Amino acid sequence: MNATVTVPEKSGLAGLNPLSKIAAVLPAMLFVALTTDVWSPLAIAGLALVVLMGVGRISPMRLARALGPVALVVLGFLLLYPLVVRRELVAGTPVFLDLGWAVIHEAALELGLTAGLRIFAFVALTMIFNLTTDAHDFARALVQQARVPYRVGYAAMAALRFAPLLRHELSVIRAAHRLRGLGEAGSLRDRLDMLWRTAVPLLASAIRRAERAALAMDGRAFGAYPTRTHLRRMTFTGRDVAFVAGFWLLTALLVIALAQLGLLGPLAFVQRV
Amino acid sequence: MIHVEDLTVRYPGRKEPALSRVNLTLRDDETVLLLGPSGCGKSTLALALSGLIPNSLDVQFSGRVLIDGVDTREADIATLSRRVGVVFQDPDAQFVMLDVESEMAFALENLRMPPAEIDRRIDDALSAANMTDRRYDKVWQLSGGQKQRVALAALLAMHPQVIVFDEPTANLDPAGARDVFAQIAALKRAGQHTLVIIEHRLDAIMHLVDRVVVMGEQGRIVADGAPQHVFDDCFGELRRLGVWMPQVSALAHRLGARPAPITLDEAHESWRARVSQFAFEQTTRAPTPGKTPGRAPGKTPGKAPGKAPGKICSTQESPAVHVHQLTYRYPSRVALERVDLSVPRHDFLAIVGANGAGKTTLAGCMAGVLTPPVGTVFINGADVATLSPQALARQVGFVFQNPEHQFVTDTVADELRFSLRRSDLPRAEIERRVEAMLARFRLDRYAGVNPFTLSHGEKRRLSVATMLMRDQEILILDEPTFGQDQHTAGELMAMLRALHAEGRTIVIITHDMALAAEHACHVAVMGEGRMLDCGPTRDVFARADTLAQARLDLPPLARLAQRLGFNALTVEDFYAVTQGAALNMAQGVS
Repeated sequence: MNATVTVPEKSGLAGLNPLSKIAAVLPAMLFVALTTDVWSPLAIAGLALVVLMGVGRISPMRLARALGPVALVVLGFLLLYPLVVRRELVAGTPVFLDLGWAVIHEAALELGLTAGLRIFAFVALTMIFNLTTDAHDFARALVQQARVPYRVGYAAMAALRFAPLLRHELSVIRAAHRLRGLGEAGSLRDRLDMLWRTAVPLLASAIRRAERAALAMDGRAFGAYPTRTHLRRMTFTGRDVAFVAGFWLLTALLVIALAQLGLLGPLAFVQRV
Repeated sequence: MIHVEDLTVRYPGRKEPALSRVNLTLRDDETVLLLGPSGCGKSTLALALSGLIPNSLDVQFSGRVLIDGVDTREADIATLSRRVGVVFQDPDAQFVMLDVESEMAFALENLRMPPAEIDRRIDDALSAANMTDRRYDKVWQLSGGQKQRVALAALLAMHPQVIVFDEPTANLDPAGARDVFAQIAALKRAGQHTLVIIEHRLDAIMHLVDRVVVMGEQGRIVADGAPQHVFDDCFGELRRLGVWMPQVSALAHRLGARPAPITLDEAHESWRARVSQFAFEQTTRAPTPGKTPGRAPGKTPGKAPGKAPGKICSTQESPAVHVHQLTYRYPSRVALERVDLSVPRHDFLAIVGANGAGKTTLAGCMAGVLTPPVGTVFINGADVATLSPQALARQVGFVFQNPEHQFVTDTVADELRFSLRRSDLPRAEIERRVEAMLARFRLDRYAGVNPFTLSHGEKRRLSVATMLMRDQEILILDEPTFGQDQHTAGELMAMLRALHAEGRTIVIITHDMALAAEHACHVAVMGEGRMLDCGPTRDVFARADTLAQARLDLPPLARLAQRLGFNALTVEDFYAVTQGAALNMAQGVS
């Protein structure tokens, strides 16, 4: 009977060491943070999407669900930026649209688009880690390779389990309070009161949960010794090296190509808005 | 062997100790049932037996606990965890990892075992728990019963000698509880462990128990001995304390049977011969369906036993609650599918079903916690979907499973006043109602106290009271007896019966079938979002296949009656039946 269960195989990005995924995307993230033009973040976001779908085998549907909200943020930047941007930054450029109460310059649109795309590229890069990494693998890699003390790594693991439980409890408390008519008047004082009244039982329950979890962990010898053994070892394999090197290379090629084509704007830590 | 000597434990910030000078010896390989009213220190003792008190909790501790001669204060947690394991009540709170294998490996890794040894132990423990094929499952994919089995398997992989079960089935439905009890029975059969069990569904485990220890206030040992001795000789004392007892014992006591049987098997054995003749007569006479379960005379004023309200599924005269083809979807799943239900005025209805059957969603739609689609749920003829929250709140009260969730003020009296803050009643009238409600629910001495500091039973009473301030006609309660001892649970049910007798409509959600059998006029059975059956309690309980489909069990006494060959659901049913047949159960079979 035991023979029927096999360890589920992890393929593509999920099979990599979580730390190598972080290492791979870091230079690209730094680059995105420094860019001031539209094309650079666009190119990096494209690279991230290609890797996610090609190597990670993430379906376009799942990607759309994960990145959809960020795409809305880009749109938001595009619409709002021209209205709040500092006049002298865009004054010399052609007028795109004159609304009467506001004049929208082309440069303002470009600035808005750049800001939005940088965020989009940033989030797309984090998805290479987020969408393909098992929380356990990350904790193991932190403890085994990054030498994070296991008490910290695994306590964080346990805390991670609380989030959905507390979120559920919060929704129940909110429903209970609504039923009693708390906050129905909608005045500011009522709303503040409601926030406080929600926090009390939620906090009480979180403390109780934490205490119980701590007891359950101690009861299973957590922290008994300074180190622990590991049933599953995380390793750096040839695949990890290939992935990191490949991603760095592609990032570098993109930067060079952008520069050659004259699409790369000046790099800066802070953009003046 | 575990020696507890003069153990006194006091939690910081408390005046009274949780345990005061407790002495107890547990022998190797015995199975001990630990009983006591809520707040008596059972869980504290469980933590002390495992050494988690005083090593992991900051408490005042005196006396000592010796495990095989080792003082728990001097042992480290690695040693202790290899000797004593605890299965806790809440399956979600005791998990650290997200999948079964990692969870199983957690303790063994902490004990620095080599990976090959860990792998072997996980294999053995999972196959003993019959969970081998679940090794790579995520924890959230498991049912409550399976979670508890994994929790137990994870402990067994450490090879402890002693296992303490602290209310392992309290959060589980009947199927989950059955799962856990089967594992405890297997452990008992293997005979290699000392088992300490804190539990209140006693009939399912009494045949496993060698010894019963009953604790009173501050852990004072009130009774200690063989089950026969404790439940027979100390019956009055136990009832006074308000501890849960096997229903078979309660029945034997009511019937005056001595020596009193403790387990279902013993009861069957000792009464079989006497009942067989009578059962033959009853079956030839045929039972009367539709009859309300018999009740103790005088216990329900204004409601003669046997006078049943009209059949529930028909929609004659405007019902209090009418549900018509209700389908309710959460973003991720369909919770209710084309549910029909009609609750007549003045009914006492129990909605029963396994966890996830849709009971709470259905009740939520009735009380306006959730918004049902237009045209599906009606309260006194008005559509819940279009009724204003205030209008609905005047007619329906809803008591959540955890009373704390509903508290919104800083004192008990303010909780009651808050319910009337949008009403146009004069101030004097509001105060009069608050006074009356405080008195009725025996909360008057707590009027100025913070609701969060009340005991569990008091919190529950307060949450019921807040839902009656507007004189609501319909009261819906989600698991009203959850986490309470027999005394406070009984008290609450008596209050609900009094409210019912006043003419209110009471709806309870529960998976405690004994509770439904004892109190409900009608029962609605739900399974996987559908209404599987509904009707008079006795009729529904007679349809074994629907109950099985809903993953529910008959209550212990109903099962006993079935084995004896007649129909009875409660102690009073049995009493009425045996009185009617002039059966004398008083002398046991020697």
